Amino acid sequence: MKEIMRLGSILLLICFVAAALLAMTNDVTYPKIMEQRQMANEKARKEVLPTADTFEELTGDQLTQIQAENDKVDEIFIGKSGDQVVGYVVKTLPKAFGGTIKIFTGITTDGTVSGVRMGTGHQETPGLGAKAELPEFYEMYNGMSAEAHIGVSKTAQTETEIQAISGATITSQAVTDGVNFAIDAIAVLKAQ
Amino acid sequence: MNMKVLTNGILKENPIFFQLLGMCPTLAVTTSAENGMGMGLATTAVLIASNIVISLIRSIIPSKIRIPAFIVVIASFVTIIGMVMEGFVPALYSALGLFIPLIVVNCLILARAEAYAFKNGILNSALDGIGMGIGFTLALTILGAVRELLGNGTIFDIPLLGSAFKPALIMILPPGAFLALGMLLALNNVVKAKQEKARETKSAA
Repeated sequence: MKEIMRLGSILLLICFVAAALLAMTNDVTYPKIMEQRQMANEKARKEVLPTADTFEELTGDQLTQIQAENDKVDEIFIGKSGDQVVGYVVKTLPKAFGGTIKIFTGITTDGTVSGVRMGTGHQETPGLGAKAELPEFYEMYNGMSAEAHIGVSKTAQTETEIQAISGATITSQAVTDGVNFAIDAIAVLKAQ
Repeated sequence: MNMKVLTNGILKENPIFFQLLGMCPTLAVTTSAENGMGMGLATTAVLIASNIVISLIRSIIPSKIRIPAFIVVIASFVTIIGMVMEGFVPALYSALGLFIPLIVVNCLILARAEAYAFKNGILNSALDGIGMGIGFTLALTILGAVRELLGNGTIFDIPLLGSAFKPALIMILPPGAFLALGMLLALNNVVKAKQEKARETKSAA
């Protein structure tokens, strides 16, 4: 009994020190990490909708209504050039191979996809699913129509289908799902 | 003596080719030379740090509870390194961040804590960490290079085999990891057997 108490208290001590260190590190790094993620999000928005200079976040009823239809829609930004609305950036959270991924989709007011990016911090397999980060993959979405859903082809790219990354069909489908969620969200937004 | 501790991990006791340690991340991430190297470097950093800490606190850890104590130390280290990297060196994090969570389950680090750091001084433990880390990085890079070359026709994204080469996609898929590792281990054993034979004939003569 005495031995168990001794071992238990040593283990407790080690865990206590480890937890304290983790808490301190978290305290220092948390604001920095949030700042980095904010910057990364900002950059991603600029990349998928290059024609916009400023972004205004959509909040309130309009967003709630869209999210009520599809809870995978995380944020919607209205992109403006000067005073004129040039398009939308939708951040969606589809499920991929290694968990949830962040997809930024830019859709212009005339209904074409202006850019797609997978956000950092995903858990896709390096060399396979992680290839969705490369221009060879995400550039396939550029210029596709946002009037209808985009499909995934295993063999070749077509006007309405992207070609899946070989060995990573699930990731390719997930990114496309994210884009399609964005297409639906903008359709709802325009109807409002 | 110290030099031997360092070089042991690189060649004679290479964690992948001789000890067959840390197989799960090895098989999972070696789809390219770059990924192998990234995983290797991230593991080396954690390995050195955990070896030093475990060597430092070995006198207060009773041997009955050493394994849970090691796991707490390693997991805390991995988490701290991940957080610090993401907060202060985001460029490095975007390259290596993917591998950080995989290191927690890397048995190489636990094995070195158990087999070496728990029984040796700080300096030697650090050297052991560096040596094993370099050995691990080298092995992963070689494995990644072989798979990338056969499966994608490139090494470090540099095309080497020309456009006539049809890449064998299976090499960068999970089965390719087993194929490539098996071939490398076989090659390794052939070399070792030859060396031994040479030594035998030498001593006989």
